[in-house]
Amino acid sequence: MVTIDLSHTSITDANQQIRDWARDGQDVEIINPDARHNIGVGLVDPITVRIKGSAGYFCGGLSDSAHYEIEHNAGWAVGDNIYKGSVVVGGNAGAIAGVAIRGAEIVVRGNMGSRAGQVMKAGTLCCGGNAAFMAGYMMYGGRIIILGDAAEKVGQDMSAGEIFVGGNIKSLGNDTMIVDMEAHERDEIMAFLERYKLNYRGDFTKVVNAGKKLRYANAEPRSRPQPFFVSSKSSNYWNPKVQEDIWIKGEVGRYRIRGYGASKPVPHLNDIAFAKDVSGVAARPEELKDINLKTTVGGRFGAKPLSLSMPVMIAPMSFGALSRSVKIALARASRLSGISENTGEGGMLDEQRAEADQLIFQCLSGRLGWNVKDMQRADAIEIYISQGAKPGLGGQLMAKKVTPELAAIRGIPVGIDLRSPSRHPDVLGADDLVIKLQEFREATFHKVPIGIKMGAGRVNDDIKIAYKDGFDFVELDGLQGSTGAASTEVLENVGIPTLSGVQEAIDGLAEIDAGDDMDLVMMGGIKDGVDVVKMLALGADCTSVGTSAIIAGGCIACMQCHVGTCPVGIATQDPEHEARYDIDRQSMNMHRYFESLRWQIAAITKALGYDDVHKVNRGDLVALTPEAADITGLPFRPEHRETRRPLTGLELLDRQAG
Amino acid sequence: MKISDADYQFSVTATPDLEDDTADIHYVPAPCQVACPIGTDAPSYIAYIWEGKNEEALEAITATNPFSAICGRVCDAPCEPACRRADSDGAIAIRNLKRYVLDSLGPGFALPPVAVTREQTVGIVGAGPAGLTAAHDLAEAGYEVHVYEATDKLGGMMFWGIPRFRLPEEAVQQDIDRMTAHCPGIKIHTNTALGDQVSLDQLKQQHAAVLLSIGAFVGKPMGIPGESEPFVKDGVGFLYHVNAGARPTLPETVLVIGGGDVAMDACRVAKRLPGVKHVKVIYRRDYEAMPARREELQGAIDEGIEIVYNTQPVEVIDGKALRCVRTEMGEPDEDGRRRPINIAGSEHEIECGLVIAAVGQKAECDELAQSGLMDWDRVKTRLEGMVTEDAKVFAAGDGAFGGSTIVEAMYQGHRAAYYMKAYLEGNENPLPYRTPYRTRHVPICNDPAWEINPRVHQKFHGLGEIPIEFPEIESTYTADEAKFEAARCFRCDAETGSADYTVTSREAIFAMSRINPQDAEIESSILQGRLENRDNPFGIEHVATLDDLVFLPANLSRLVIDPYREDCKTATELGAINSLKLEIPFVVAGMDLAPDEIREAYATAIVAHGAAYIGAKPIGDDASWIQIAETEADTAADAVVFRGGQAIEASKVERARDSQPVGLLVDNHNLAQAIPFALEQEIDFLVLDAGDGLPGIEAELAGAPDISILHHAVSQLRALNREEDIDLVYFGGLRTGTDSAKILALGATAVIIGVAAALSLGADISSGSPLYDADLDAEERAERSYNLLQAFNAEAAMMARCTGKTNVHNLEPEDLRAITLTVSHAAGVPMAGSLNQH
Repeated sequence: MVTIDLSHTSITDANQQIRDWARDGQDVEIINPDARHNIGVGLVDPITVRIKGSAGYFCGGLSDSAHYEIEHNAGWAVGDNIYKGSVVVGGNAGAIAGVAIRGAEIVVRGNMGSRAGQVMKAGTLCCGGNAAFMAGYMMYGGRIIILGDAAEKVGQDMSAGEIFVGGNIKSLGNDTMIVDMEAHERDEIMAFLERYKLNYRGDFTKVVNAGKKLRYANAEPRSRPQPFFVSSKSSNYWNPKVQEDIWIKGEVGRYRIRGYGASKPVPHLNDIAFAKDVSGVAARPEELKDINLKTTVGGRFGAKPLSLSMPVMIAPMSFGALSRSVKIALARASRLSGISENTGEGGMLDEQRAEADQLIFQCLSGRLGWNVKDMQRADAIEIYISQGAKPGLGGQLMAKKVTPELAAIRGIPVGIDLRSPSRHPDVLGADDLVIKLQEFREATFHKVPIGIKMGAGRVNDDIKIAYKDGFDFVELDGLQGSTGAASTEVLENVGIPTLSGVQEAIDGLAEIDAGDDMDLVMMGGIKDGVDVVKMLALGADCTSVGTSAIIAGGCIACMQCHVGTCPVGIATQDPEHEARYDIDRQSMNMHRYFESLRWQIAAITKALGYDDVHKVNRGDLVALTPEAADITGLPFRPEHRETRRPLTGLELLDRQAG
Repeated sequence: MKISDADYQFSVTATPDLEDDTADIHYVPAPCQVACPIGTDAPSYIAYIWEGKNEEALEAITATNPFSAICGRVCDAPCEPACRRADSDGAIAIRNLKRYVLDSLGPGFALPPVAVTREQTVGIVGAGPAGLTAAHDLAEAGYEVHVYEATDKLGGMMFWGIPRFRLPEEAVQQDIDRMTAHCPGIKIHTNTALGDQVSLDQLKQQHAAVLLSIGAFVGKPMGIPGESEPFVKDGVGFLYHVNAGARPTLPETVLVIGGGDVAMDACRVAKRLPGVKHVKVIYRRDYEAMPARREELQGAIDEGIEIVYNTQPVEVIDGKALRCVRTEMGEPDEDGRRRPINIAGSEHEIECGLVIAAVGQKAECDELAQSGLMDWDRVKTRLEGMVTEDAKVFAAGDGAFGGSTIVEAMYQGHRAAYYMKAYLEGNENPLPYRTPYRTRHVPICNDPAWEINPRVHQKFHGLGEIPIEFPEIESTYTADEAKFEAARCFRCDAETGSADYTVTSREAIFAMSRINPQDAEIESSILQGRLENRDNPFGIEHVATLDDLVFLPANLSRLVIDPYREDCKTATELGAINSLKLEIPFVVAGMDLAPDEIREAYATAIVAHGAAYIGAKPIGDDASWIQIAETEADTAADAVVFRGGQAIEASKVERARDSQPVGLLVDNHNLAQAIPFALEQEIDFLVLDAGDGLPGIEAELAGAPDISILHHAVSQLRALNREEDIDLVYFGGLRTGTDSAKILALGATAVIIGVAAALSLGADISSGSPLYDADLDAEERAERSYNLLQAFNAEAAMMARCTGKTNVHNLEPEDLRAITLTVSHAAGVPMAGSLNQH
C-alpha cells in the first residue's frame, strides 16, 4: 500500500503515480483528497485506490478494472463510464453517479443525487439510501438497486435495463412500467448486497421500459427526393416537394426524416471568388512539391498535434450511420493521403484503428461506444456538442441499422429507433465542461489534443467559451453539414451557414484577442480544393470533408441514408447491401479524391503567389453576392464573376472517363 | 474495333448544331448514356417505363436509334457495364427494358413521314446499320437517298449475321418498315452490288455524295496449315448460309474457333443443327479477356456448349481433328490486352468433324480496290470527317473500321451523315461531331423498393422444344416486371435533392476520385470547372420567404432542451385583455366553402388539439371559432374579428357579448391606421393577413406571402411601446410547423394555416383553389387532419427546444438569423455571421 498526499501533489502527478503503482501491482491510499476532481481517472490496470476523505467530480472515471473506495462523499459523475471494476462510496454521491457505466459495480452507501445511472449500458449501480429524481434516466441496460426511496420520474426514457426500488417511488418516468420480479433476480440482488455488506431484507418494486417510445409509431413512407427547389421564387411556393411534405405529415403525424444536410440554397463559398485570376493553372505535381500544405491541429497546450499532409481531415461519421466497410475504406484513404479519420458517434473499430494513422475519437452525449481503452489509443479526442446538420438533436439511427453487432459496440438494445440525448449528462454549462475536459486530459495523460465539435449557431459566444474552457481545437460545422438521419425541419432550419460560421468564429476570437493558438477546423459543404483554400483565406486553420469523401467513395446522393438499405452499401448495416461495397476500390477512389484536393490546394496557393497554403488571407478573396459581402465583410465585386460558360456535365464525365 | 467519343478527343468548348442538353446545369448525362455510342437517353426511357408511359419511352428510345427493336434484343449494350448499379447488385437491364417497350408498342408505332426538300441526292452502298442510319439522318434532313444493297434483304449483318433465335426476322422488319415509312425519300435498290450492277463512277455521277458502308462479310482465315473447305468453314459465311434458310446436317462434334460475338452465334447455331452432339468453342485467351458479351457467353454455356480457354489452334488435320497448344497469359500488348503465349510441349489434338473459324471479318470489294479506295481489307477513311481519298465519297461501318457492334455502326452512320450534310452544304470545316445527349427531365420514380429490388432476369428458354426451328431464346418482361426493374435506376442524370451537392457537384467529385492525380492536364481542367461561380441564388427576383430564416441552436451559451424527450409548452392565450384559450397556437382557415366531409374532419381535429377555426361561419359545434364578421358579431363565436378597413371607417367594433375577445383583420394597406385605432379601442388582437385573402385561402395559393407585415406591426407597436397591449395572429403561406415557429419568434401569438390544411386532405391546388376528391374515407380524413396539426405543433416545439426554450411562446426574434438580405429587411432579423448584427 502506497500513500499519495493530495495536499502537495497535483491531480495529474497523482494520477500518473497511481498508474505507475498499478502497473507494479501496488494498491494506493489517497490522503487529503479534499474533494478534488478527477481522482484516479484513466486507470486500466487492476488496483485498489482508497480515498481517505471525499472526492470531487468524476472520481474513478474513464477506467477499467480498478477498484475505488471513497471513505466519505463523492461529487458528481462518480465512476463515469467504468467498464469493469468498482467504486464504493462510504457517504453520499452527487448527481449522475454511475453515468454511462458499462459493467462496473458502483455502490453508494448513503444517498445519491439526481439522474443516477444516466445512459448506463451494463453493470450495477446500488444506493443504500435514497435516490433523487430521474434515477436511471435514459439508461440502455444494466441494473440499478435503490434500497431507500426513489424520487420523481424513475427510469425516465429508459430503453432497457432494470431498476429495483426498495422504498417508495414518488413517480415513474415516461415509458416505464412496474413488473413482477423474478426469484432469481432477488437472489442475485441479495448476493450483491451481501458482497458489499449492505443489510436489506425488504421487498423491491421493479421498474422497466414499457416499450411504447422505442420505435416511431408508424413508419414514414419511403420516398426518393425531388430535385431541390429555390422555393422562395414566388411562382413555385407550393411546389410538389412542399405538397408531398404536407401529405406525408398528414400520414405520419410528425416531422420527416432523411439523410444529408440542408437542401435549400444558402450563401456559401461559391459566392466568393479569388481576387486574382487563378484559372489556367496546369502545374505538374513536381512543380507544386515546394508548396507547403502541412497542417498541424491541436498543439495549443503541448499535446502531440495531429500532423496532416494538407489542411483537410475526414469529418466525423459513425459506424452505424455508415457500414463497417465504409469506415475501413475511409480509414485507409486517410492513411494513404496523410490526413486524419474520425470515429464519429459509434465507437472505434479495430480495423479502423489499424488502417488509420491518425484517428480522432469522438465523445457524444449517449456515450455510445465510448471507453477509456479506445481513448488511450486515439490520436485526438473530440467532444461533440452538436453538429451542423442537426444542432439541438442527438444522433439518430433508425432501427433497421441497429443490428446486434452495432448494438454490442454501442452497448444498447438491438432494434430500437436510437435517438441519442441532446445534451451530455455531465456537461450542463461551460464550467462543467472545463472539468470534463480535464477528465479527458487525465485519461489520455495530457498527450493528445482535445477538441470540441459544434454546429454553428451562436458562434460568436460559443467560440469564446470553447477558447476559455481550454480546448486545443474547434471543429465547427455549418448548416450544410450532412448526417445519416435527422428531422428535415432541423436539417433545413436550425443553424447558420458555414460561411457565417467561420466569420463569426474569427470575429468572436478577435474580440477576446484570442490569437491563433486554438485551431479552427471548418466543415459543412466543403467539396474541393477551391473551397479549402477559400476557407483558409477566411481564417480557418483546417477543413474537414464528410459527404464529399463519401461521394468520392461511391455515394450517389439519394439522401435516403436513414432507411438502412443503401443501394451502394454505404449507409447500411444490412449484410446483403454492405456486400455491394468494394473496400479496395472505393478506398482508392477516396484516396484519389484527396490527392486531387491536394493538387487543387497547391495549384491555387501557387497561383495566388504563395509557397504556403497558410499564407492565404482575406485579401485574396472578393464577394460576388450582396449576402456573401454582408456576411464576410469582403469587398463586393459582382463584376468579378466570370462570365465563361460553366463546365457542363458532359465535360465532367469526359474528365472522368479520361 | 470500337470507336466512340470515349476514345475520340473531341472539343469540349463547342457543341455542334445537334439537339443536346448538356449545357443544362441541372443535367449530367448518365454513365450509361455516355457509354452508348449514340447517346440513348436511357434514364428517361427507364423512368417513363416506371410511370407506365410507354409511348414516351418509345420516343426517347427511337430518337437516335432507327433500329430500336433490333437493339432491344441484340445490342451489345455497353450501357449495362457502365451502369453504376453494376457495381452494387447488378446493372439495370437497360437492353431488355428497351425490348419490353418495343415489343409492347413497336409494331404499331409510326413516325410522321419526312418530305424530300433538297435537290441533291445521296447514294449509299450497303444497307447495314451504318448505311441505313446515315440514310435515315440524311433523309430526315430532306435529301433523297438511294441505298444500293447487294443482297435481296435490308439490314446487313443484322439480317445475315445474327441467328433468328436471337433476332427474329419480324424485329428487323419492324425497324426497317418504320424507317422506310418515316423516310419516303429513301429509295431502295436491292440485288444491286457495287462493281456488278452498279459502278462507283455511276454513283458519283448520279449523286452529290456517296457513302460506302459495304460491311465486312468475309471471314478471316486462321492462318494455319490445313485450313481449307469443306472441313473448315468461316463463321460469317456459316451464319449467312443458315440465315438464308439452310439447315445443314453437321458432324457430331463441331469446333468453333474464336471468342467474339460471331463465335458465340456460330456455336449456338451449330448446337441447334441436326447431327450435332458436341460443340466446343476454342479460345486462345482466358475468360477475362474474352470479348463476347457475357450474356451471350452464358447463354452458350447454358445451352450445353463447352468453352475451352487458353487453347490455340496450330494445325488442321483434315477430316479428323484440330491440333492445338495450351497457352498462358503473358504481358499486356500495345493494345493493352495480355498476349497468349504458347506452352511448349502442350500440343494436343481435339477430334472433330467440322471447324468453324470465327476469328474476324474483313471487307472485300474489287471495284473499290481498283479505284484505290481500299486499304488492304478496309475502305480507307479517317474518323475525322469520315471521308475517303475521294472528297465526294465517305465511308462508315465495319467495311471501313473493322468488325464491330450494331450500335457502333449506327454511331458511325450518324457521324458520316453529319459530315456528309456539312459537305453537301458547302461547309468545309464543320465543328467536330460528337454524340448529342438529351434528357427528357422525367421525375425520379418514387418506388419505395428501388434500393432493394434485385435485377429481374428475363425468361431464358435456351434451345427450346424444337431447336431447329430457332425459337427465340428469351422473352421480355411483363409490365410488372418492367416496372420493378425500372424502379432500380439510380438516375445518375437527374438533379439531386440538394442545392449543395447538386448533380454537377456530385459528378465533379466523382471525376476527382477517378482520375490519375498526377495528370496535371486533367486536374487543371477539373479545377477550371470548380472555379466557376454559381449564379446568385438570391438574385434580383428573389422574394423574401421564411426559408431564408434560420434558428440559432443552443450549444454552449445555452442549454438545449432535448426535442426527443423533454416537454415544451404550447398552451396559447390569444387576446391581450379578453382572451381565447387554446392548447396549441394553431388556427385553421379556409374551409367555409369546403365539402362537409372535409369540414367535419378538421372540426374534430381542432377539438382534439384544442386549436381554433377562423372563418365567416363555424366549422363544428365544439370547435373554437373565431368569427370573421361581415356585419355583426355572433354570440356563439369564441372570438370575433372585424375587417380593419370597415371598422376604422365605422370608428367602432362591437362585441356580441361581454368578454368576447375581439380582433381586427388587417393587411399591409391598412396596418398603419389600424394599430392606433386598435389600441384606442382596446382591441384584443390583430389578424395580420399577409395573403390578403381571409376567410378564403385562394390568395394564399397565389404565391409567397409578404411576411413583412409582421415586422411592420411589431415595429409600430414597439415604437409606441405598446407591444404587450395587443396580440398578433399571422396568416399567409405557412407550410410547416417550422414556418409557424419562425412567425411565433417574430412576435405572433398564434398562426393560421390554410393551404397546408387543405393539402393534408389531398386537395388539388392546380386550379388556384383547393379541390377535394373522394379518395380518402372518413377515418383517413380524420386521422390526416389530426396528424397535420400534431406534426405542425411538434415541429414548432422542436424548434423551440433546439434553441433552448421550453415554451414555444418564449421564441423571440433573437433566436433567428437571416441568410438573405431580402428577408433580413422584411423580417427585421440580422444576417447570420454579419458583423452588422452587433
